Amino acid sequence: MRAAERLRLHGVDLEILRRGSGPPLVILHGFAPLDPQAPVLDLLAAHAEVIAPTHPGFGHSPRPDDFDTVYDLVRLYLEALERLPFEKVTLMGLSFGGWLAAEMAVSCPHRLEKLILVDAVGIKVSDRETPDILDVFNTAPTEVRRRSWHDPGRWAPDYDAMEDDALVGHARDRDALCLYAWDPYLHNPQLKRWLARIAVPSLVLWGASDGIVKPDYGRAYSALIPGARFELIGSRPPSRDRTVRRLRGASRGILAAVRSILAEEQPCRPGT
Amino acid sequence: MQAWYLNENPYPFVPPHALEAADSVRGSLPNKYCDPKRAADLFEEALDEYLLCDDIGINVVSNEHHAGINCLFGASPLILGVLARQTKKVRVLSLGTLITVRRDPVRVAEEYAMADVMTRGRLEIGFVKSGGSEMASGNANPIGIVERFWEAIDLILKTLSHREGPFSWEGKYFTHRHVNIWPGPWQQPHPPLWAATGDPTTSAELGRRGIVNVMVFRSIEETQRAWGAYRQARAQAGLPPPGPDRFGHTAFVYTGDTDEEGIRVGSKLLWFLNTGLRSAPQYGKFLPGAIKPDAAPGLYRTKPRPGTPAVARPAAALIGLTAEQAIVKGLMFAGNPDTVYRQIREHQEKVGAYEHLVLAGRSGFMTHEEATRGLKLFAKDVLPRLQAL
Repeated sequence: MRAAERLRLHGVDLEILRRGSGPPLVILHGFAPLDPQAPVLDLLAAHAEVIAPTHPGFGHSPRPDDFDTVYDLVRLYLEALERLPFEKVTLMGLSFGGWLAAEMAVSCPHRLEKLILVDAVGIKVSDRETPDILDVFNTAPTEVRRRSWHDPGRWAPDYDAMEDDALVGHARDRDALCLYAWDPYLHNPQLKRWLARIAVPSLVLWGASDGIVKPDYGRAYSALIPGARFELIGSRPPSRDRTVRRLRGASRGILAAVRSILAEEQPCRPGT
Repeated sequence: MQAWYLNENPYPFVPPHALEAADSVRGSLPNKYCDPKRAADLFEEALDEYLLCDDIGINVVSNEHHAGINCLFGASPLILGVLARQTKKVRVLSLGTLITVRRDPVRVAEEYAMADVMTRGRLEIGFVKSGGSEMASGNANPIGIVERFWEAIDLILKTLSHREGPFSWEGKYFTHRHVNIWPGPWQQPHPPLWAATGDPTTSAELGRRGIVNVMVFRSIEETQRAWGAYRQARAQAGLPPPGPDRFGHTAFVYTGDTDEEGIRVGSKLLWFLNTGLRSAPQYGKFLPGAIKPDAAPGLYRTKPRPGTPAVARPAAALIGLTAEQAIVKGLMFAGNPDTVYRQIREHQEKVGAYEHLVLAGRSGFMTHEEATRGLKLFAKDVLPRLQAL
C-alpha cells in the first residue's frame, strides 16, 4: 500500500490514494473518504489501477476558503483527469461522488472510458413533495444510521471505539458535505436534462438495502443515461466465480459488477 | 440602567404525552398541537404586557424563533410593526430578525427603516445568529453562518445609511444589484446596534465595531469571557474602552412582594430551560458547524476518555436548573424588590457594569396577571434604585 499522494491543482492540494495496476479506475467517494483498509479497495486494485482522491474538506484534506461548491469539485476533478497520464479512465462515483461523476461525464465524456455510478445522488426524480434522498442533516442520527447500512450493528461506526483522528475526520466529512450539498439538497436540478450527453458504457449499481436513496431512484437515474445498465446488489444469487463468492455482501456485488464492465470489450452504443 | 422586557410568547399547552413522545420541541413538533385560538389569546396578552411597559418605563424587545413551542413570534418584523404603532414612549429593540436565515438582507433593512420611521426614531436593531433548529426550519446552511452573519450586517448597514440612490452588492452570500430603500431610517446613519452572542470571537468583532453585546442566559464565566474579548479587541485596535452602555444581560426576572413569592412565581420562568430548550441532536450538537471538528472526540463519544473532555453546547448546561442554581449563575433574579436589586448589583460586581438589563419576565405557565404584577413591582421598586446609581 502506498501512502496518500498529493497533487497540487489550482491552489488545491488534492489527496490521492493509489493502488494496484491495470486499467485506470478513478473512484470518487461518498459521504466519507474511502477507508484505505476497506477490502473492496484491494479487490478492485487486483483488476485496475485505483486512483481515489479525497474531496477537499473531507477527512483530513485541506480546503481553500473560497472552494465551496460542487462546481469547484467538478472543475477540480476535470482538471485532475487532464493531468493524469491516461488518455481515458473509468470513473466510478459512490453516492455524493456519484453526483460528481455524473456531472463530469456530461461535461467531458471524451476523457472517460466507462462510467460506474454506485448509489449515486445528484438528480431530482420524484415530485416536489416527495424527497428522493434521506435528509441526513435534519433526521435523527439513529435513523440516519439505521438507513445508512445494510447491517448497522455490524458496519456502522462505533464512535466510542474510534480514535480522535478518525472522529475529527468524521466531523469534517459532515461539515464538508453540508457545505457542498445543503441546498438544493444533494442534487442539481439541471443535471437530469444533460445525462443524455453521456456517451460511454455506463453501469448503475445499487444496494438493495440502501435507505438513503432507494433502488427505484437508481433505476430512474439509469434510464436517463443512454445505454446504461442497472444492477441491484444484494438481491441476486451468489456468483459462480470462486473469488467473488468468498466475499461478503456489497464488496462481492461491487467487485463482480465492476469486473464485468471493466472486461467489456465492446462499448455499448448509446441508445442500445 | 435601562430595563427591557422580553416575552418570547411560548406555547406551553401541548399535551404531556405529545411532549414526551417528541424528540424535540423545536423544529419538528407538529403544529396540530397549537390551538390558534389559544395562540391568539397569548399574542394579545404579550402585546398588552408590552403596552404596559410603555406606561411604566420599561423598553420592549421583539424577537423571533421558528417552528417550536418556545416562541410563537415567527416573524419579528410583524411584532415590531405592532409595537411601532402601539407604543408611544419606550425604545423598541428587535432582537432580532434571523439574518442568517433571511435570503435578502436588503428587505430586512427596509423593514427596519420603516419601523424606525414609524416609531420616530425609537428603534434599536439587534442581530442574532439563530439556533440550530432554525437552520432546518429556515432551510439555511449551518456551514458558513458566521461569515454570512457579518456579510448580512454589512449589507443591512450600507442599505440603511446609503442616501444617494441605488448601489450594487455582489458579495459571497448575497447579491442585490439595485439597492435603494424608501424611506431611509429616522436615526442617521442608522439606529443603535446590538448583537446577542456569548462567543468570544464574535464579541471581539462587536467590540471593534462598537456594537452593544447582549448576553442571553449566559453564565457569569461566559459573560466575563465574552466581554473580556470585547474590551481586549477594542484596546488592541486602539479604540477607547467601552462604557457600560455597550453591554447588556438577559435574565429571568421576577419581582414579588416577598422572596417566597418571587421564587415561587419566578420559578415558572424556568420552563423555558427545562421544556422550551429540548432539542433533537440533529438540531444541536450534531448540527454541522456546531462545534469545531477538533472537538469531535468529546462530542461523539458516549464514554469520554481521559484527557478528552466531553463537549456540550452552552444550552445543554441550562437544562434542569433550579431557581436557586439559576440565581447563583446570574441567569435569574427573583425575590422581593430588595433581593432583586441586590442580586442585580452583585451580578454586576462579578461581570462588570452593564447598562441594559433584558427581563425575560414571562414564560411557560406563568400567567399574564403574574407577569404584569412582577413587571409593575420591578418598575416601581427596583428600576428607580438601579437608575439612581
